Amino acid sequence: MLLRAESIRMAFGGFLAVADAGLEVAEGEIVGLIGPNGAGKTTFFNCLAGDLKPSGGRVLFDGADITLASPEAHAALGIARTFQVPATFDEMTILENVMVGAFLRHPREKEAREAARRTLALTGLERLAEHKAKSLGTPGRKRLGIARVMATEPRLVLLDEALAGLNPAEIQQAIELVRMIHRSGVTLVIVEHIMEVVLTLAERIVVLNQGRVIAEGRPKEIVNDPAVIDAYLGRSHARRAHQP
Amino acid sequence: MILLQVIVGGLLIGAVYALFSSGLTLIWGMMNVINFAHGEFVMLGMYAAFWAFTLAGLGPAGFAPLAAVLLFILGVFVYLALVRHVMRGPMLAQILSTFGLLLLLRYSAFWAFTANFVTLPDDLVGGSINLGGILVSAPKLLAGVIAILLTAGMHLLLTRTAIGSQILAVAEDRQAAMLMGIKPDRMQALAWGLSGASAGIAGALIATFFPISPTVGESLTIIAFVTVTLGGFGSVPGAMIAGVLIGLIESLSAFYFGPIFQDVVVYGLFVVILWVRPHGLLGKA
Amino acid sequence: MPRKPIIGWLALAAVLIVFPLVFTGAYYEQLAAFVILSAISASAWNLVGGYAGQVSVGHAVFFGVGAYMPLLFYKLWEASPLLGFPAGIVVSVLIAIVIGVPTFRLSGHYFSMATIAVAELIRILVSDWDFLGGAIGLMGPATPRGWWDLVYRSSVPYYYIFLAVLAVLLYITHRMERSRFGYYLRAIRAGERAARSLGVPVSRYKLYALMLSAGFTSLAGSLYAVKFGFVDPGSALGILVSVQMVVMAALGGAGRLLGPLLGAVILVPLQTTTNTFFGGAGTGLAFILYGGIIMLLSRFEPGGLLELWERFQARREARTARGRALLGAGEDHAA
Repeated sequence: MLLRAESIRMAFGGFLAVADAGLEVAEGEIVGLIGPNGAGKTTFFNCLAGDLKPSGGRVLFDGADITLASPEAHAALGIARTFQVPATFDEMTILENVMVGAFLRHPREKEAREAARRTLALTGLERLAEHKAKSLGTPGRKRLGIARVMATEPRLVLLDEALAGLNPAEIQQAIELVRMIHRSGVTLVIVEHIMEVVLTLAERIVVLNQGRVIAEGRPKEIVNDPAVIDAYLGRSHARRAHQP
Repeated sequence: MILLQVIVGGLLIGAVYALFSSGLTLIWGMMNVINFAHGEFVMLGMYAAFWAFTLAGLGPAGFAPLAAVLLFILGVFVYLALVRHVMRGPMLAQILSTFGLLLLLRYSAFWAFTANFVTLPDDLVGGSINLGGILVSAPKLLAGVIAILLTAGMHLLLTRTAIGSQILAVAEDRQAAMLMGIKPDRMQALAWGLSGASAGIAGALIATFFPISPTVGESLTIIAFVTVTLGGFGSVPGAMIAGVLIGLIESLSAFYFGPIFQDVVVYGLFVVILWVRPHGLLGKA
Repeated sequence: MPRKPIIGWLALAAVLIVFPLVFTGAYYEQLAAFVILSAISASAWNLVGGYAGQVSVGHAVFFGVGAYMPLLFYKLWEASPLLGFPAGIVVSVLIAIVIGVPTFRLSGHYFSMATIAVAELIRILVSDWDFLGGAIGLMGPATPRGWWDLVYRSSVPYYYIFLAVLAVLLYITHRMERSRFGYYLRAIRAGERAARSLGVPVSRYKLYALMLSAGFTSLAGSLYAVKFGFVDPGSALGILVSVQMVVMAALGGAGRLLGPLLGAVILVPLQTTTNTFFGGAGTGLAFILYGGIIMLLSRFEPGGLLELWERFQARREARTARGRALLGAGEDHAA
């Protein structure tokens, strides 16, 4: 198992955002993490990414306990994450943005620059290398966010709603990009609201509701799981789903 | 006996520290903006009291509310004209904005009022009162008591009134507040007004027993920083407790080490707090 | 980053080197020396305040420590003030660690608040410590006992010493800009959370930036002490020192290599003029002016004059490019 999260619990004062959630990701998989609004996906995700220290449970990466590791340590170990609202370094050029990522593995400027250029080529941004990041629209920023992360040469990438705010054509391109990243050997955990995307991309899906994992399995199984349908649409729809 | 006097004096001035610090922590917690010119607001409150007395013969019952109103207006103006535009920008712009205001206010005061100390007459608010053997300065006693009441009032205003809950709602979650029909801009301006008023009235109270000069803002700003840090980010009750504590510590330090070292102890304590417990007594994490 | 052509650098260097030989006379020489000295402190502040985005408003503490050390060494041991230089740097860096370690793991405001508090703390201590001259201050050797006392009657030798130090500082800054350290600092300034997620050790790098900045600011203070031969709490540790560094760097362009020098070139003569015209009240006026400038910058152009210039250039290029594109299209149609 590349990544394993066990019995994760996250309480904010009196509010329990994540009650008991767990996850296992094998190397090379694409795992989707879904759930209705307020299910605790983002909180759980941030626990995996090192942004939050969970109140209970642990996270293991390649056997090592990274529960309390900082986000920087995560990146150094090979776990990268994107942000739902891409926090690009606006006043820096697109190339420079990616170089910040590349510097993690290439301390010298020349090599970092070359590595960044390679990543830009891979993600289709090479023509915009010298443009300032702030000149990008939402799809461009998302793409840059992914490029930056790829420059850190991660083994595992946590994608946080990477496709939110994109139109259908852009979504298709993004899906292609994600597939390409996967082909290059990166393991992926994808948090996504857009059902079609998750069902297309993910080999396995974990469903969260009210801070707990309520279902896990292949896309086809999840779609027909009454607990899942109940969580999203309410009991009546679950009943109807069982009628011929 | 002397020690008790020192303690009581310290608690009373601490109450005034609590008053103006609660205004500072309110806007810090709400907008993540620190007003570097907050001490200057207090200084202006002091001068407002002085000029109201000198020019119009107003007593504390008149010039204290006047100072509150004037500084309320200044607070709102500073928010609308300056702070609201830099709030969401780079940190450099945020800090420079109120730091520049500090310079502008302090040195304009130097230019307008000169560096000479002025005072309100000693007999404006009685002399000394004998409380069971302890001699307490009457203006200090009045200031401290009023400050406690006003700070508690500020806390109640925020937690028990409709408008207070609107302010807190914006502080908690701006988006959610907007969805509920609350106008964040208006609430934030109001908070700045309250912050200014708290500083202004604190200044007016201090003016009854302390010499007034444009230099007072310097140490008051830092005392406000220490107090809001010790009290905890955004916590008005925290600022109350911390203010009284800081006043007490300051007073005891002056007594044991001399007046020069009272500032040294308090500023040094700031560094210690940052190392040991930066989130303060009651801060949100 | 657009690379300035080498001819620009040579021209600038030439102007700076030749300046006091062209504009002679005690007034110009003293002014020029002060411009360069201010540029050194502002450029040092720029490392942590401009590049890393951590706004210190109490940098006078490092300047003051650096200023007192040489004269203290002279007072205590009749030693050469030069020996005080490294001592000042060491103490300044230690103070930087005391301020930076706790505050850099917290939000930016804590750091700024701490700088103002520590600067005041040290100023009060020094003002009241007779050992350090109290409110009167310390004086250096009146006549030089050797080259190591660095006492010259004219400002010109100082000018060239300061210029050499500035050149070294700017060179180091330039190299830093193009290194991992520089990229990481700019990332920290642009977005801490994103920087962390890319592996940038944010708190540690902020501290490094502060330590480097403190060391160079201390050096500037030491240079000030040997030139003026006198320090007191007001001139070395007062808020004006902190303000000058900030406003010069910010006006010229915080986070840019030549921003602080540009700010110094504009503001030092301005401040000297107001002092001359308005006498004692001049300092107060300078503060009011600086306060106004800082507020306007924060509201309208936090990137300073160099940023304003860059935007102006970009707009001009866009207009000419559009113009060329339009013309090109027109010609095709005509043919």
